[in-house]
Amino acid sequence: MSENEKIFNQIVRDYSERLWWHVRRFVNSHEDADDLLQEIFLKVWAALPSFRGESQLFTWVWRIATNETLNYLRKEKVRAALRFSSVDAEMERRIQADPYFNGTAVEKELAKAVLKLPEKQRQVFIMRWWDDLSYEEMASITGTSVGSLKASYHIAQEKIRSMISVDPF
Amino acid sequence: MTRKSDIFTPEGYFEDLQKRLCAIPQQEAETKPSNIRRFTPYLAYAASLAVMVMLGTFILRKTAAPAVQEDPYWDYYAYLADGLDPDGYYEYTDAEELSEEDIMNYLLADNISLEQLAYYEEGY
Repeated sequence: MSENEKIFNQIVRDYSERLWWHVRRFVNSHEDADDLLQEIFLKVWAALPSFRGESQLFTWVWRIATNETLNYLRKEKVRAALRFSSVDAEMERRIQADPYFNGTAVEKELAKAVLKLPEKQRQVFIMRWWDDLSYEEMASITGTSVGSLKASYHIAQEKIRSMISVDPF
Repeated sequence: MTRKSDIFTPEGYFEDLQKRLCAIPQQEAETKPSNIRRFTPYLAYAASLAVMVMLGTFILRKTAAPAVQEDPYWDYYAYLADGLDPDGYYEYTDAEELSEEDIMNYLLADNISLEQLAYYEEGY
């Protein structure tokens, strides 16, 4: 086994589950999260030889995952437009019909409310609330300052509160 | 409210997922395309484009109107114009001798009026 393969297998063991949950919150589908995660790790494997250690491995892998996820959502937006539909409506339908959802009605409302946030705020909210990342980790992943991230998260929470009948926080 | 309690995964899902992900290096090594296969799609596009250009050129050539210079009556019109052109720009050396009466009859048959003929004879 080559050195790169050993490093790759370590990345899979350390981060695959966390990344799966991260992607799952964006795509709202078990099957799509599975497919997308495989695409992400294909990209990680392809890019591994060029990783020079300028950032931490965790940050580098997470950044690839986030970029691939956002690309996936942009493609879904185009596909939805071609079907004369909207990606938000499709995502809401997925949340409503999700066979792997066993939460409360408030949690379902929260998931739907997050869909309505602007892309950046949605990303920050998911990373903070569900992925449980620190602001410092989020700053190194997104290249945004800790202060901006805190502000984005606070605004996202206020918007969600205004959309849901019960305060989920 | 706990943050991950609303979604569940099938039993053993993540163990299976890790096995599939760890197989990626091996799969990539087995399916790496040769240089020729890598360029095959581009060659196919180039070939399709060449066929379309040839087909388009063929169709255009078949359907285009003939050029004015290919009109077989072009020299004949020039010959007729000689009778109307006092400077004789359109001399037609092969023409048989025609009488003025023949020429006038022909022009009248071509709907040229006597007044027009008189006008041209005056040299205007």
